[in-house]
Amino acid sequence: MSSTSQKHKDFVAEPMGEKPVMALAGIGEVLGKRLEEKGFDKAYVVLGQFLVLKKDEELFRDWLKDTCGANSKQQGDCFGCLKEWCDAFL
Amino acid sequence: MPVFVEDPAHLSKSRLKSDLVAHNVELPPGKSKKEVYVQLHLKHIDQKNAADFSSDEEDQVQDVAKPEDAEMPDPSGLTDDDLKAALLVHGVKAGPIVASTRALYERKLSKLLQSDGHYQLNGAEKGILYSDSEEEEENGEEDDAESDVALQPLAKWLHRKGSVLYLTITNISFYFSATRRRPIKGAAGRPVQYAYPDTAVSPTTLERREVERRLVPILIQVLVFLIVVCVLYLIYVCLWDTSFSPFVALLDSLNQMSDSEEGLLLQTEVQDTPAPSGQE
Repeated sequence: MSSTSQKHKDFVAEPMGEKPVMALAGIGEVLGKRLEEKGFDKAYVVLGQFLVLKKDEELFRDWLKDTCGANSKQQGDCFGCLKEWCDAFL
Repeated sequence: MPVFVEDPAHLSKSRLKSDLVAHNVELPPGKSKKEVYVQLHLKHIDQKNAADFSSDEEDQVQDVAKPEDAEMPDPSGLTDDDLKAALLVHGVKAGPIVASTRALYERKLSKLLQSDGHYQLNGAEKGILYSDSEEEEENGEEDDAESDVALQPLAKWLHRKGSVLYLTITNISFYFSATRRRPIKGAAGRPVQYAYPDTAVSPTTLERREVERRLVPILIQVLVFLIVVCVLYLIYVCLWDTSFSPFVALLDSLNQMSDSEEGLLLQTEVQDTPAPSGQE
């Protein structure tokens, strides 16, 4: 958590607009594909799920694992990225 | 509204199923009896549709809701509102329970119920209980690994301390045996000893410690060990205080004495030799 990836910084730097789901930190090509298959094609759809879970880390991590099989680090990256984005833009 | 008029008990199982699905109700596990479907139907659909239902259906609703209080409700059988209320009972303020979140909240509730029901279990058993999913299994392993890691330094420390102790003991005994043989400084014997206790410690004391660790709680072991360390350290210090420095002093004095004796002898010889010549 101390250092954030470039992807994280890029995502948090601006409104997400129509960015694809793979723009989220922790979501690479494989997880992105899986999410797209389930209908989560844009980052804002994942944001919607994040918000409907009331930004709860545990639930969001669970959901991400169920939906695309993200590992612990990927879950954490994605959560941190969305959380920070919300803190900045919501 | 035909569904409303019809008694769900008279509907076919597949009709009940499709109705439940249509009303976004989680289906009970595959091999459930029709009774279960009927109850779900009554609870989820008829309750919503009919305000003027007779009391016996309400009783049934209560019957379904009651197990929740009886510790082991099936979260999938609850309505969204019931689920939310049940979570609130456990101190969790649930967000909106919708199609995409319901499964998560259900699992959370069953987790909470499990942890309540098995409150007295220790962490390891909990880890097993919760290991129903991959990530948690990983976590469990991590926890185990962590506890192992937490124990490892201690064990290592014990072993190290043990060998150090053994070293000091052997040092002392070596020191004495060395002193008996040869009155030179103990440093001469040490390099040999370092090689010696390593082989001596590993087979015997390590094995014994392994056995002991299973027999006695680690805390008591540590306590006893610390006491032993203290006692041995005191002995060690005492020995070094009383034997080493005086011993060095003794050595020095012995050397000095022999030197001075030799010197004296030489002197006397020197004195002896010129004396006759002087006399002559």
